[in-house]
Amino acid sequence: MNKFLRRNFAGYAFLSPWLIGFFLLAIGPILASLYLSFTKYNVVRPPQWIGLDNYLFMFQMDQRFWKALQVTFSFVIISVPLKLIFALGVAMALDKGIRAIGWYRALFYLPSILGGSIAVAILWRQLFNYDGVINSVLRLFGGDGPYWLSDPRYSLWTLIVLAIWQFGSPMLIFLAGLRAIPQELYEAAEIDAAGPVRKFFAITVPLLAPVIFFNLVLQMIEAFKSFSGAFIISGGSGAPLDSLLFFTVYLYNEAFSFLRMGYASALAWVLLLIIAAFTAIAFWTSKYWVHYENERG
Amino acid sequence: MSTFNRRQFLQSSAGLAGSVAVLSAFGGPAFAQDKAIRHFWWGNPERDRRTFAVIDIFNQKHPGIKVSGETLGFADYFTKLTTQIAGGNMPDVIQQGYGVLFEYIANGAVVPLDDYVGKSLDISKIDQSAIDAGTVDGKFYALSIGANSHMAVLNTRLFAQAGIVPGESFDPYGYTYDELKEFSAAIKEATGVPGTDDNTAEYQNFSDFVVQKGANLYNEDGSYGATQEIVEEYWSTWAAIREAGGTPPGPESAGLAGVAELSQQGVVTGKSAMTYLWSNQLVGIQGLMQDKLGVAMYPNTPAMIPGSVVQPSQFVCLTRDSVDPEAATTYMSAFVNDLDMTKILGLERGIPSQSDVRAALQADLSEVEALSVEYFDKIQGKTAALTAPPPSGSNEVEQTFERLAVAVLLGERTIPEVASDFLNQARAILARA
Repeated sequence: MNKFLRRNFAGYAFLSPWLIGFFLLAIGPILASLYLSFTKYNVVRPPQWIGLDNYLFMFQMDQRFWKALQVTFSFVIISVPLKLIFALGVAMALDKGIRAIGWYRALFYLPSILGGSIAVAILWRQLFNYDGVINSVLRLFGGDGPYWLSDPRYSLWTLIVLAIWQFGSPMLIFLAGLRAIPQELYEAAEIDAAGPVRKFFAITVPLLAPVIFFNLVLQMIEAFKSFSGAFIISGGSGAPLDSLLFFTVYLYNEAFSFLRMGYASALAWVLLLIIAAFTAIAFWTSKYWVHYENERG
Repeated sequence: MSTFNRRQFLQSSAGLAGSVAVLSAFGGPAFAQDKAIRHFWWGNPERDRRTFAVIDIFNQKHPGIKVSGETLGFADYFTKLTTQIAGGNMPDVIQQGYGVLFEYIANGAVVPLDDYVGKSLDISKIDQSAIDAGTVDGKFYALSIGANSHMAVLNTRLFAQAGIVPGESFDPYGYTYDELKEFSAAIKEATGVPGTDDNTAEYQNFSDFVVQKGANLYNEDGSYGATQEIVEEYWSTWAAIREAGGTPPGPESAGLAGVAELSQQGVVTGKSAMTYLWSNQLVGIQGLMQDKLGVAMYPNTPAMIPGSVVQPSQFVCLTRDSVDPEAATTYMSAFVNDLDMTKILGLERGIPSQSDVRAALQADLSEVEALSVEYFDKIQGKTAALTAPPPSGSNEVEQTFERLAVAVLLGERTIPEVASDFLNQARAILARA
C-alpha cells in the first residue's frame, strides 16, 4: 500500500458505500446501456450485436421518433421560459417584505414537492377531464370547455400548465438571488428617477443573470427528462394521436411495451446527447448575457 | 428468534426472490422445510379476492409449501414481468393470455410441463382442446384456467327504460350493426345515455369484424390479413352509429382508446349502456355495478359469418426462474383440480376446462355465473374456428390500431387515409419483429 492510499484509506473506506453504489448502480448501467444500444435485445434472449442499425433506423425510418422529438422540444421551449417568468414574478412579489413570508414560501413551494408525483398527475387528469373541475367552472360562466385531454390541440397545454405550477424550486432560488442584490442600487436608481420597469431591466435582470442562467439550465434538463405527467395523463402511450409522446414516454414504450431494450437504449443515448448539446449551447450563449461579480471586465 | 423470522421475511419480500435463490444456494436448512412459491396474475378486485382466498386454502392443505400471491392491473402486469425476466426473478407461476403466451414460450421464459405431468401435475381431467391450446411443437407448456369468448354486456335498466328488450327487440345472439345503430340511438333518445360504447379504437371488436368479413387477422404465413376495404368498412360502420347518436361523442371515446381497466368501461362509468369485453370479465364487471347486466354477442354483418372465437381465457405457466418446479406444479395442479379451490375461483377466469370442476360448480352458481354458463350454451355453433396464435409484433399492431383510430374518432383525417396508414405501419411492424 503506497503512502497516499495508506493516509487516505479511512476516508475512502467511509466513502465506499457511495463509491460502490456509484460504480455499480450508475456507471455500470450507463456503460451497459451504451453497449446495448448497438444490439438487438428483447430481455429474454441474449443481446445480439447489430452495429449502428438502431441509430440508422431511428433517423431514417422511425416516424414516431421524430414526433417524440417534436413534442419534447415544444414542451421544453414553451414550458421552461413560462415557468421561469412565473417563478421570477412570484419571487419578486414575495421579496417585498410581506409578513409571514415563511408560510408563503412554503405554500408556494408545495406544488414542486407534489407536482412530480403520480397522484398529482392523476389529479390533473381529473381536473381536465371533460366532466372535470375546469370545465365545470367554465360552464358556470356559460362556456363549454373542450376535451382538454383527448384533443391533441390542447393536451400538451395541460402538461405545460402542470409544469408551470411546479415553479417552487426556481422561485426559491430567485428569491435568494433577489435578496443578494444590494438595495443601494435601487435607491440610487430611484434618485435618478428610474421607474419600476427601468429598475427591473437595468438592475434586477443583469444582477440576477447568473441565477437565471442556473435556473434555465436546471429547468431545461428537467423538462427534457419529464416523464410521469405525460405517462399518466396519456395512459402510458402518448395518446391522443401521439400529442403527449414525450421522448421519455416513447423510450419507455419501446423498452417495456415492445421489449426493444437495444433500441430504447439507443434512444436514451440520443436524449443524453440532445440534453448535453442544449446545455452546451446555453453555456456558450451565457458568455454574452451572464456576468459574474468577480469577473474582470 | 426475533419477531420477524426468516419465513415471514420470505413471504413479505416477494420482490426479492432473486436473492432467495442466492440465499438458498448457501444452504440454510431453515429454507428446506418451507418451499416458497410465488404466483403472479393480472386481475381486478373480484379476482384478487378469490385468488388470495384460494392460496390460503392451498397453504393449509399443503404444509410444506408456502404460496404467496402478487397481483397487478393488466396494463402494468407485463411491464413488471418484463423487468422480472431481465432480473432473472420471475415468479414461479405466472398467468398468461392466449396472445402473448407464445412469445414467452418462443423466448424460453415459460418452460415445458411434460416432466411433471402424471407426477406433481394432474391433467387427466382437463379437456383435450384446452391441452392442445397450451401445446407447442409437441411440448405441453400452459395449463388453461378456462374458456373464453367475446361478449357484449348491457345495462338492463337503461335498455328496459328505452323499451328495448333483448330477445324481442333484437336477437342478442345474432344482430347486425344496423340494428345496433337503431336501438343504441333509441336508448340515447329515451335515457340520455348513449346505447353503446364506440368501438372505433377497440381492436378486439375489429378482430371480430375481420373474421366476420371472411378474412383472418393473420394469414398462415404470419402476414396481416385485414384489407384496406375491411378496415374502412369497420370504421365507417362505427362512424354511422356515432353519427346516429348511439355512442358518446368521438373525442370522449378517443380518451378511452386502449384503456383496459374494467372500472373505466362505459357501462360502469354510466357513459354508455353497452360495453364489449371477454366473457370471463362478466363476473368482475358486474361486481363493480349496481344495475344488472345482460349479455349479447358482438354485433355482426347481415351475412352472419361467425367472428368470435372460443379460446382459453388464461393459462397458468411455470417460469424458467422457478426454484422448485415440483412444488410450483403441485400448486398449479391444485389450482385447476382441487374442488375446494376451484369452487372459490368459480367462473371468474372463464368456464373451467376440467370436467369434474365444471360439474361441481353447476350445483351452486351465482346469478351472474349462471348467466355466463347460459351464454356459453347459446353461442355454441355461432363461433369461429380458433386460428393460429398471433405472431410476435401483434401486440404492437394492436396498439398502433388504437393510436391511429383516435384520428378517426376526432375526425382529423379521412377513414381511407388512416386505414392505409394503419396497414402500412402494421406491415412494417411485422417485418421488423
